Amino acid sequence: MEYRSQKIAYWYFAIALSLFTLQVIVGLWLAFNYFFTVPQSIVDKFPFATARAIHTNLLVLWMLLGFMGGTYYIVPEETGREIFSPRLAWFQLVALVVTGVVALVGFVFGWTQGRPLLEIPRPLDFVVVVGALIFLFNVGITMFKAKRWTAIQGTLLGGLLFLALLYLFGIPFYENEVIDWYYWWWVIHLWVEGAWELVTAAIFAFILIKITGVDRQVVEKWLYVEIGLFLFTGIAGTGHHYYWIGAPRYWLWVGGIFSALEPLPILLMLIDTMNHVKHRQIKIINPLTWTYAIGCAVLHMIGAGVWGFMHTLPQINYYTHGSQVTVSHGHLAFFGAYALLNLTVFYFAIPRIKGIEQYDARRGKVGFWTMVTAMTLMGLSFGIAGVVQAYVERVLGMGYMAAQSYMRLWMAVTFTLGLCFFVGVLITVTDLLTLRPARKVID
Amino acid sequence: MSKKTAFWIFMIGTVFSAILFLGLTWDTHRQIVTLSHADKLSVDVVKGKRVFEKYNCNDCHTILGFGGYYAPDLTKVVQRVGEEGIRYRVKNPGKAFETSWRKMPNQKLSDEEIDHLVAFFTWVGNVDNGDWPPQDSKKRLTRSEERMVAGVGLSAGAAVFQTRGCMNCHSLHGTGGSFGPALDTIAQKLTREQIEHYVKDPKSVNPKALMPAQKELSDKELEEVAEFLANVK
Repeated sequence: MEYRSQKIAYWYFAIALSLFTLQVIVGLWLAFNYFFTVPQSIVDKFPFATARAIHTNLLVLWMLLGFMGGTYYIVPEETGREIFSPRLAWFQLVALVVTGVVALVGFVFGWTQGRPLLEIPRPLDFVVVVGALIFLFNVGITMFKAKRWTAIQGTLLGGLLFLALLYLFGIPFYENEVIDWYYWWWVIHLWVEGAWELVTAAIFAFILIKITGVDRQVVEKWLYVEIGLFLFTGIAGTGHHYYWIGAPRYWLWVGGIFSALEPLPILLMLIDTMNHVKHRQIKIINPLTWTYAIGCAVLHMIGAGVWGFMHTLPQINYYTHGSQVTVSHGHLAFFGAYALLNLTVFYFAIPRIKGIEQYDARRGKVGFWTMVTAMTLMGLSFGIAGVVQAYVERVLGMGYMAAQSYMRLWMAVTFTLGLCFFVGVLITVTDLLTLRPARKVID
Repeated sequence: MSKKTAFWIFMIGTVFSAILFLGLTWDTHRQIVTLSHADKLSVDVVKGKRVFEKYNCNDCHTILGFGGYYAPDLTKVVQRVGEEGIRYRVKNPGKAFETSWRKMPNQKLSDEEIDHLVAFFTWVGNVDNGDWPPQDSKKRLTRSEERMVAGVGLSAGAAVFQTRGCMNCHSLHGTGGSFGPALDTIAQKLTREQIEHYVKDPKSVNPKALMPAQKELSDKELEEVAEFLANVK
C-alpha cells in the first residue's frame, strides 16, 4: 500500500464479505423451499418472495461495495495521489450500509417496491442516488486534480457513471407492464453486460499490470478492444430480453445476433489474461491471487459466455425463458464474473493493505476450490432441473406443479451442493479477514 | 494494431450499438401502444399493477417470464384458471393449496384489491407477446388441453372446464386442484343429466356437499361441460 487513503477499501471489503456470507445463507433457505414443504403458517409470515428479495439485494449490495472499495484502492495508485476526501468515503460507506440494512429489514415487514431486484423502496432509492453521487464526486475530483489520465481510469470512471445513470431508469412507476420491463432491463442487463463489465475490465487490467509487470500500453490497448466489444455486443444485446414481453418482433433478430456475439469479448479477455500471464515480467509471489484471476476469467467465460449463449437464441429461449435454466445461468455468471472478480481484488488488495508481502495461502486454496467446484456442480444441477422443467411444463404441458415434482430431486441436490459452497465461503471469508504472512518465503 | 486503433474500435463499436439501440427504443415505444393494447390500460389495471407490486407477487411468480421461478407464470393466468380461479387462490391460498407440497402466503388482500389484480392480469394476458409461454399457447390448443383432448375427444366443454374454475378444486389426469375429488372416471359413475343437475345445485343431491352451486355458468356452458365430463371414462 502506497497511499494512506487506500485503507478505506478494507472496510468496504470486510462488509462486502459479511454480506456475501449472509447472501449464501438466505440462498440455502431458498433452495430448501424448492424441495421441502414449508408449512402455511411460516409461509404466511415469511414468504419465499421476501427471502428472494433479500438474497438478490444482498448480492447487489456486496458487489457494489466490492467495486467501490476496489475503486478506492486503485484510484490513488493510478492517479498518484490520495483520495480527495477520505471522510466522504467513510460517510458514503455508512450511508450505503445503513440504507441497505433498512431496506432488508423493511422487506421482512412488506416495505417494498415489489419489482424483482429493484425492491428497494423509492424513498431509499434517493439515498442510494445521493450516495452514488458522493462516490462519483470523490473519485472524479481525485482524478481531475491528478490530471494523469489513463485508459484504466477512464474506463473505471465511465463504467461507474454509466452504472449510476442507469439506476435512474429503475426508479419511476411505469403504468404499462411492458414498458416497465423494457426499462427494468436497462438497469439489470446494461449493468451486468455493460457498466459492470467496464468496471471489471478496468479493475482486471489494473491487477494484470501490477502482478504480471506486462507493459501498460499493451494491457490498455487490449482493454479498449475488450470494452469496445463488450459495449458493441452488450448494448444492442439487451434485445434478448425483449423476445416475449410484447415488444416488436425485430428484437428476436437484434437480440439473437448481438447476444450470440456476446461471448467474444469474454473470450478475448480470457485469451488476453492467459497471454499476459505467459509473458509476465515479474515473479509470482502469491500464486493464489493468480488462481483467482484465472479462475475468474475461465468461469466468466463458462457462466456468462457459454451458459448465456446456450439459451439466448429465440428458438431455444421460447422454451427456457423464465425457467430454472435462467437460474443456472444467473448463478454461474454472477459467481464467475463478479463474485470471483471481487474476491480477486480482495486477495490482491488486502495483503497489501495489511503490509503482508507473501501470505499463507493454504486455507484460501481450499476455500477457492470448494467454492468453485460446488458452484460449477450447482450450475449443472440447476440446469438439469431447468431442462426437466422446460420439457415437462412447456413441451408436454403437464402443469407447473407436475414439473416441479420432477425437479424436486435436483433441487435437493442443489441444496446439498449449496451447503458445500457455504463451507467454501466460510473458509474464504475467514481466510481473507485473518490473512497471515507465509511462514517461509519461497525463493 | 496500435493503442489508437484500439481506441477507435471501442468508440465506433459503442456508438454504433448505442445508436441502433436508441433508435429501436424510439420505434418500440411507438409500437408498444398497439402491441400491449395501451388504450385498454384503465385506472383499474394500473391499480392492479400497484397491488401486484405492493404484495411482491413478482418475487415468487414470473410475469412475461421475469421474476421468481417459485410459482407459475402469470402472463396468461386468466386464460389458464379464469377470473374466479384467481380470486379463489388469492383469497384462500391455505385451502387452495392444502394438499400441494408448495404453499402460497395469505396476504389478506381486500376484495377491491383482488378486483384490480384481476383487471391487471386480464390486460397482461392480452399483450401480443409472441405467443409465450408455450404451455398456454393458443396457436394450437393449450398444451394441457391437448393432453386432455387426447384422452377424451375435443369439445367446447373442455374449455368451460378449464376456464370457469372447475380445475381450482378438481383435477383431470393429474392437472388441476385437489380440494375436490379427481374426475378421471366420473362418467363411470354419473350420466350426463346427473352431472348437469349436480353442477347446477350440488346440495339438492347431497346436502353435505362442499361444492358451491355454479350459478355463473350459462345453461349452454352447463350443457357443454356436462357433455364433456360424461365422456371422461
